[in-house]
Amino acid sequence: MKQKIPKILSHIILIIWLLFAVFPLYWTFVTSFKKPIDVFQGPKYFPFIDFQPVLTAWKNLFIRDWAQILPPYMNSIIIATISAFLAVIIGSMASYALSRFRFRWRSFSNKDISFWIISQRFFPPIAIVIPVLILFRVLKLLDTRSGMIIVYTAFNLPFAIWLMKDYFESIPQDIEEAAMVDGCSRFQAFLKIVIPLAYPGLITAFLFSFVMSWNEFLFALILTFQNARTIPLIIAGQSTQRGIEWWNISVLAIITILPALLITIIIQKKLISGLTFGAIK
Amino acid sequence: MAGFKKIKIKHIFILPTVLILFAFGIFPAVASLLLSFTNFSLAKVGEGFSFVGLTNYLRLFSDARFILSMRNTFIYVILGVGFQYIVGMFLAMLIYEETKINKFYRVVFLIPIMLTPVAIGYTWRMMLHGTYGPINHLLSIINLPGIPWLSSTIVAPLAIMLVDFWQWTPFMILALLAGRMSISPEYYEAAGVDGASKAQVFAYITFPILLPVSLTVILIRAIEVAKIVDIIYVLTGGGPGVSTESITLYGYISGVKQFNLGYASSIAYTILVAIMVFGFIFLRLKERFK
Repeated sequence: MKQKIPKILSHIILIIWLLFAVFPLYWTFVTSFKKPIDVFQGPKYFPFIDFQPVLTAWKNLFIRDWAQILPPYMNSIIIATISAFLAVIIGSMASYALSRFRFRWRSFSNKDISFWIISQRFFPPIAIVIPVLILFRVLKLLDTRSGMIIVYTAFNLPFAIWLMKDYFESIPQDIEEAAMVDGCSRFQAFLKIVIPLAYPGLITAFLFSFVMSWNEFLFALILTFQNARTIPLIIAGQSTQRGIEWWNISVLAIITILPALLITIIIQKKLISGLTFGAIK
Repeated sequence: MAGFKKIKIKHIFILPTVLILFAFGIFPAVASLLLSFTNFSLAKVGEGFSFVGLTNYLRLFSDARFILSMRNTFIYVILGVGFQYIVGMFLAMLIYEETKINKFYRVVFLIPIMLTPVAIGYTWRMMLHGTYGPINHLLSIINLPGIPWLSSTIVAPLAIMLVDFWQWTPFMILALLAGRMSISPEYYEAAGVDGASKAQVFAYITFPILLPVSLTVILIRAIEVAKIVDIIYVLTGGGPGVSTESITLYGYISGVKQFNLGYASSIAYTILVAIMVFGFIFLRLKERFK
């Protein structure tokens, strides 16, 4: 008996937390099927029980507003995909180099380079974005997809390198050395042997970078205004138009968080070790 | 030409990264430092700009809005992260055992972390709505008064912290969980023989062993929260008044909305220095506890 009560209590607490974690998602989901009156007449919780679900908001988004939603949605997909891809390519080369070679420049060694790279993540974006704004004005990269791809590649690179370094370190060097004895160049060994072996790590880094770019707000807010706007900006701009149409915003929120949600579930195990990077070492 | 001989394949592998980090790390850091000593304004690009010495920094001291945003950010970091840590630690201790249900909890608890903050901000704005939001309605069911979540200057900062708490406590849980799971069971067996209570075991074994991990996760989160902007932008827009404005939001407003990039750079640099000092103190603390 003495053991049972704390057990039950702990389950109650966990279930409360579970409800707290999931309720906002549930609420967004049900709101997307509400008529305006079901929103404004106080909270209605259960479809078919205290309100009749309708597809109005979904039709609004996919039929009425689709022409306005599609370009930013495509921008988000294109910018996030290409920047994540570039971050993985450039990052995998750097992580490989850091795991295989010894760099030495004055008192600067591999450890310092790794620290310098990861410390970039802690830089406040507002301090970065102001000079980038001026630079992009001069280079005519403001409000372009290419500009955003470059910024997000740089933004994702440190973390991608950090994630992939472990993978490269875990691949035994003998295989590539054997290949190089057989006449492979270092670069061929990297491409044909190391990359395929590190594949799971590259995928994790890619998906993680994708989500980071997908969710990013401040850079997009400052560096784009029309053509290259991404989906978070469209959500953020919703309240300024026809008042707040919660049912429409809910649909928009769902299609925005859906990719991130799916990716989270796919890479959840890697994510845990990735997110807690270095913390437990 | 002798220098070029030294360039080897290893340099080629790392060169793109170094170039990118120069362009988007070192260049902006130097440029915004320089900008912070000028009166550069986007509204007067044609007229050029001049160096104004410390004027921008001196202005910060008398700028009530800056001081308030600094104070808000500080509250978000100390109170917000502190609370996330305590709750995260508590929940991690409940789900560290390798059971099926705990594995399920871990996956579900992870979800909020990766969701688009702007979308999450709207979801919470809807839920915290004073008249038709479910939170106040649920409070009224258990006979509690409704709370003016987003319309009171006192409660609104709490609402910001609530959303950050919802999204990021899972990070604390998962990091501390990983730390707890890596502690060797031998420690606990010895304590079991001595008949220590659960609270004693936590206070004398778990907590001290997790201290370095704790400091790291608190540091990571504190730095992230010091940069908070997107949730505030959609949840309250910095209001009511400027009561929830963070330092990054104010930097954005003065730089991009009011075109005053020189002044905005001095704001940005203040956060940068604050983060560096904070990080330095924390890393020092961590060394001591290792």
